[in-house]
Amino acid sequence: MDMLAQILTSGIAVGMIYAVIAFGFQLTFATSGTLNFGQGEALMLGALVGLTCVDTLGMNYWAMIPVVCLFGMLQGSFVELIGVRPAIKIKSEFGWIMSTIALGIIFKNVAENVWGRDALPFPPPLPMEPMSFLGANILPMEILVVVGALVMMLLVEFFNRKTIYGKAVVATANDRDAAGLMGINTSMVITFSYALSSLTAAFAGVLIAPLTLTGATMGGALGLKAFAVAIIGGLSSGMGIIVGGLILGIVETATGFYFSTGYKDVPGLILLLLVLAYKPSGLFGKSAIKKV
Amino acid sequence: MLSIQNLEAGYGKVKVLHGISIDVPKGQVITLIGSNGAGKTTTMRAITGMIKPTAGEVTLSGQRIDGSDSHKIARLGLAHSPEGRRVFTTMSVTDNLLLGAFPRFTGSRPKGDIKTDLEHALEMFPRLKERRNQLAGTLSGGEQQMLAMARAVMLNPEIILLDEPSMGLAPILVEEVFRIISNLKSQGVTMLLVEQFAAAALNVADYGYVLENGKIATHGPASKLKDDPAVKAAYLGGSGH
Amino acid sequence: MMKLKSHLPLLAAILGLIGLPLFVENPYYIHLAETILIYTILLFGLDIVVGYVGQVSLGHAGLFGIGSYTAGILFFHLGWPVWATIPASIIVTAIFGGILALPALKVIGPYLAMVTLAFGTIAQILINEMSWLTEGPLGIKLTLPELMGTTMTASEYFWLVAAITILALIVVDRFVKSQMGRAFEALRDSPVACDCMGVSVYRFKVIAFVISAGFAGLAGCLYAYSEQYISPNTYNNELAVLFLLAIIMGGRKSRLGAAIGAAIIVLLPKLLDDINLFRIVASIIAVVVTVGAIMALSKKITTPKRVAIPVAGVVGLAAFSFWLNSIADWRLSIFGFMILLVVYYLQNGIVGFAKTFYLAITGKTKTTVGEATAENTDSSVDFISAIGNKNAGAELLKVDSVLMQFGGLKALNNVDLSIKRGTIHGLIGPNGSGKSTMMNVLTGIYVPTSGNVFYADESVVGKTSSQIALSGIARTFQNVQLFGEMTALQNILVGLHHTFKSNMLDIALHLPRYLREERDARNRAMALLKFVGLENLANEEARNLPYGKQRLLEIARALALDPELLLLDEPAAGLTAPDIKELLRIIRKIRDNGITFILIEHHMDVVMSVCDTVSVLDFGQKIAEGKPAEVQANEKVISAYLGT
Repeated sequence: MDMLAQILTSGIAVGMIYAVIAFGFQLTFATSGTLNFGQGEALMLGALVGLTCVDTLGMNYWAMIPVVCLFGMLQGSFVELIGVRPAIKIKSEFGWIMSTIALGIIFKNVAENVWGRDALPFPPPLPMEPMSFLGANILPMEILVVVGALVMMLLVEFFNRKTIYGKAVVATANDRDAAGLMGINTSMVITFSYALSSLTAAFAGVLIAPLTLTGATMGGALGLKAFAVAIIGGLSSGMGIIVGGLILGIVETATGFYFSTGYKDVPGLILLLLVLAYKPSGLFGKSAIKKV
Repeated sequence: MLSIQNLEAGYGKVKVLHGISIDVPKGQVITLIGSNGAGKTTTMRAITGMIKPTAGEVTLSGQRIDGSDSHKIARLGLAHSPEGRRVFTTMSVTDNLLLGAFPRFTGSRPKGDIKTDLEHALEMFPRLKERRNQLAGTLSGGEQQMLAMARAVMLNPEIILLDEPSMGLAPILVEEVFRIISNLKSQGVTMLLVEQFAAAALNVADYGYVLENGKIATHGPASKLKDDPAVKAAYLGGSGH
Repeated sequence: MMKLKSHLPLLAAILGLIGLPLFVENPYYIHLAETILIYTILLFGLDIVVGYVGQVSLGHAGLFGIGSYTAGILFFHLGWPVWATIPASIIVTAIFGGILALPALKVIGPYLAMVTLAFGTIAQILINEMSWLTEGPLGIKLTLPELMGTTMTASEYFWLVAAITILALIVVDRFVKSQMGRAFEALRDSPVACDCMGVSVYRFKVIAFVISAGFAGLAGCLYAYSEQYISPNTYNNELAVLFLLAIIMGGRKSRLGAAIGAAIIVLLPKLLDDINLFRIVASIIAVVVTVGAIMALSKKITTPKRVAIPVAGVVGLAAFSFWLNSIADWRLSIFGFMILLVVYYLQNGIVGFAKTFYLAITGKTKTTVGEATAENTDSSVDFISAIGNKNAGAELLKVDSVLMQFGGLKALNNVDLSIKRGTIHGLIGPNGSGKSTMMNVLTGIYVPTSGNVFYADESVVGKTSSQIALSGIARTFQNVQLFGEMTALQNILVGLHHTFKSNMLDIALHLPRYLREERDARNRAMALLKFVGLENLANEEARNLPYGKQRLLEIARALALDPELLLLDEPAAGLTAPDIKELLRIIRKIRDNGITFILIEHHMDVVMSVCDTVSVLDFGQKIAEGKPAEVQANEKVISAYLGT
């Protein structure tokens, strides 16, 4: 029973990280129909920038967070400007898929050269002694992860529902042409959604960094699994992402425990393939009606 | 107020409009009628920036707007209730109306009193008032049409473009829609009304243009056009060609 | 002698490959050339998915790995000889390609890319973890294959690889030029039209992946022997991206492009290892591109704005190389930049760009894709199978109380229709009355909520669009759904897909059955083009045709299905008056040969002049039916259109 509780709690923490990254996918997909294949690298850069702030510049962890968020916004805007906007203009899906992949590769390589190829430890802001809760050992950092992820998503929800600018973003996602007719600059909305998407990824990066090792390679697997969560939950459903994240996190932790850590990533990927094979709109998504 | 000169537009290879000219004086309701495929919606899209015209001029209050982006044209005071309503289905009625006033929030248009205007709009459209917190996607076709028009009104626009407001609506709802258009007209709102249903449109308009195969076949005071056989011919073929 | 001339480059290449080991002493260079050949084989396969079906695949490194490991495992555990491991690798990898295709069936674009990425990642993980089979991270050692008892020399293995590469080239070339290749391209250009032309999208997606995987498996197997050591971390996502870069940069849909791309991704890392060599090459490229840009500007075939970024890019790269002491660490960034540059500025790859550049500089106009016109084009219309006027007047299609409901909206509300053979039946109504919905129900795109549709006394509800097309109902679309990047002739050939019974073996070996079917299809296609007056535009890409002619081409393509019933969805939309006259003439000609029509139209003049019967829909219900003149004068119809 203890084991089950342990798997659940660890799985939830991991799952929430996936959910936050997947949240970023949703944001850009909703407004522009495009995704950042280098989303994992946005997380990685956020973590490394955060590490530099805390280690080299001696910043306090909590003060570092807004800095990393700002960095994330800039990085996201850059990706949109260079990789996505030109592709949307020439209406080439192939274009933004390949260019976001390319930018991801470049970011990873730059990170390798700037921060080195080794995985680095991230100084945790909270004590690393596990607390005992319902028979499971939980690290305070894991609780921070769950709380941080939820707070981030709630903030964005609040923005979307209560501010006129947030409503403009939702409107663009709903019907881009009609949003333009309202006087909304949809181009800027798309740039903004990419900025926000990278912000959430970078934030997720500094949340998860103290729990694992920080390095140039941390983004790849995370990005792919976050995509799996976005697909499983449904690219149009916010709730679905949280559920999808939790499912994946728990299944993964269980696999890592009962089989071997090497196989940990496999169930998520197989789940992704199954969902795409049977219900591409996701478990919670709505199927689109084909119109000819 | 709004002046269209020799407008040509199309989609890719297909040229739909072959040079049309329409004049919408301030305070009047002008209607553009014609059968399907005649080019009415293309005209609206070319005016409001959803597609870029290939030739011709569109002028709003003396300013050239042809080739501009939709959002810039909206900020100049041109409100568009598009074909098919295009309400924001995942948002509430109130939110839809607030978004209609978006340029007023951001300062691109004179702010005025948005809250009061919201209440006025709901008074004008009682059906919407009952459903102010309902999701726009759950409204019926007629209610969505009301919402699209109310949303356009929320801009406090110089001119409202109405694209086929009667489409897909049962006759009784069509009556209600046109009653509201008359109401707006009596308040002095300038409107360009594009309609498939010639009869209702000509009843409410001051002046009409008949569009056929991308050209203006005939135009004149609405009262005269009502009895013009050329109008019927434009829709159902036959005599006159 | 035409044939010999076009084969000349290939013969030269073969001679070069034979000569290479004889004239080059250093085994390092032979191995390099061998790797290029092996990658070329893989890229032939990848091109099918990327160039022809038009999708992004990030899973080919995984398939490559499966091919290598099949060979490695069979060699290591069972000691199989190369003559057995090669076919085994091809077959096993092809099977995995089929498995990959399954989740990929219903998705396209970024979703498909993610499916392939997930697949590639899973493949690498499994290879790494299943050490009882694959030796895991330790890897497997192989030796060069044995030939008649003794191990091959490096040169002999090179010749084997070269021979296999040439074979692969011939086979893939034959595949893509056959009806299979056309089906793949049709998939890319318009999946909806594909299904409605009887080419099943699902089926061909699977075939594309299976064949593509087969080539990857072959390459993987040869690679294992060539390297004589395989380990899991070779087959990673970076390699998958590299393969994509290769095929885009070399040029899609081109065998030469595949070879160029392979050369680039093999030689580039070597180039980057040697900083001095890289500086020289980068500088040369910078000079070439700048000079080319100046030439193009002086001939006014481009603008300064367009050449600014590519020129800045290559000059910047050269400068960057002088600033660094070692460029090997920046290898991946350089690949990333190359991808960006290629995606936006070199969309047709080096091969495509070279063709365009050459034509532009020499001032020639683009020669349309040369395909030999058929030997004898027959202007008689007996390609329309003799339906004659059999049973003229009998009921061909019966729509029985069809209800089509989307959520709360009843797009079709208990509509009855009876279409008589040999007639032209018009379907009109104001916007949103349900006409296009009816079309989609009749062709299987929508399944009716209730009610039935009987075609020649058999229910078609529940059948796929492909099945319905093959049973005799063909259609055109409101928004023209031609296969844009294919020529007019190729579009019709896709419509004639159903006449091909030959399989992959027939195509690969150019057996008589396939050659005959191809020749007959081309003759028929030319006759169909002549029927609609488009025979002079046979080799023109469909998307370049004037709009009116595109519409006629769509009709000719529909005729290729040998239909008894032809559904035309707003064929006159956007047409000028002379085009409409031509359209009506052709419709009448087709009807005179016994084909029945359902015609949706808004152009009343068209409807009145050509239809025998007209049914009027309003709000999803039939409100009138009868002869055109009757309907035109019907009060209900007038008020439906004009309002009361």
